[in-house]
Amino acid sequence: MKVADYKVQGGKMLRVKMSLEGRMIKSITILGDFFLHPESTIEAIEDKIVGCSIDVQILSSRIQSVLDEHKAVLIGATSIDIARAIEKASMSN
Amino acid sequence: MAIDEAVMLSMKDGNVGPTLRLYRWFPSAVSIGTFQGMMDEVDTQFCHSQNIDVIRRITGGGAVYHDYAGEITYSIIIPREHRLGPDDIINSYRILCNGLISALGHLGIKSEFKPINDVIVGGKKVSGNAQTRRHSCILQHGTILLDLDVNMMFQALKVPKEKISDKMIADARQRVTSIREVLGRNVSMNELRNALRNGFSEALGIELVRGHLTKNERDTAGRLVAEKYSTREWNFKR
Repeated sequence: MKVADYKVQGGKMLRVKMSLEGRMIKSITILGDFFLHPESTIEAIEDKIVGCSIDVQILSSRIQSVLDEHKAVLIGATSIDIARAIEKASMSN
Repeated sequence: MAIDEAVMLSMKDGNVGPTLRLYRWFPSAVSIGTFQGMMDEVDTQFCHSQNIDVIRRITGGGAVYHDYAGEITYSIIIPREHRLGPDDIINSYRILCNGLISALGHLGIKSEFKPINDVIVGGKKVSGNAQTRRHSCILQHGTILLDLDVNMMFQALKVPKEKISDKMIADARQRVTSIREVLGRNVSMNELRNALRNGFSEALGIELVRGHLTKNERDTAGRLVAEKYSTREWNFKR
């Protein structure tokens, strides 16, 4: 399991826990003290990025598409922050 | 929190109007944000040994130590279309937190709203708040610190022991304050409760009428406790 903490500048904390198959996300949990309305969107985001490779642009784009599709509001972090947190986790031991 | 959700469900059915609750946590408790992991954030063994409850909220935000002797928690529940709940969520935090700012003013304390969700006095946090929008309602709840037991907080919340130092404790004291610390006197719970009632009423332009839970709400709250808030499945979900 790869885990990383990521502090959003001027925002909240993110923690990513994931397993990889090569460079591909096999499973992922996105945690933190951010706000997301509706809260259920987090599972939709996690489902959407399983199978995705570790690429900040692609991840960010997929996360944003889920936010847009669910008309969700993410507060204390952005889709790019989550993508960067995932990248950081991928590089952890 | 089961009561909050029961009131939201009752409000969704049109059975109750906007509601303000003021309450304390007995026993003392730690609540984590809905996106946090219990085992990441809380020393559950320590909490169990001290009879401190642990629970996951339906709102985001961080882990909070709710000291029975040190704080009052408020929750305000309004219909989704209420004037106090604009679409802009940070603006709605600002509006609802005005109740706390007004309450602190009643105690002679000058405070301000710090986005996203804090109320601060002299640059130090005295209140944290969190909001959810569901069941056609808006719930905002938060704490206001009467007193702060930093040592207990650091034991209940998981901070790597090697990182707890005098500097860290001093740092916490620089970032967080309490009403008793600001005023330098032993403000009572009753005084704070009255200030909160008056503060919310004046700042939000609302008339507060004392009420009680309906039987339906009590039953729903009981069911939510049994099926959700007391379950490992909910509290240790992430």
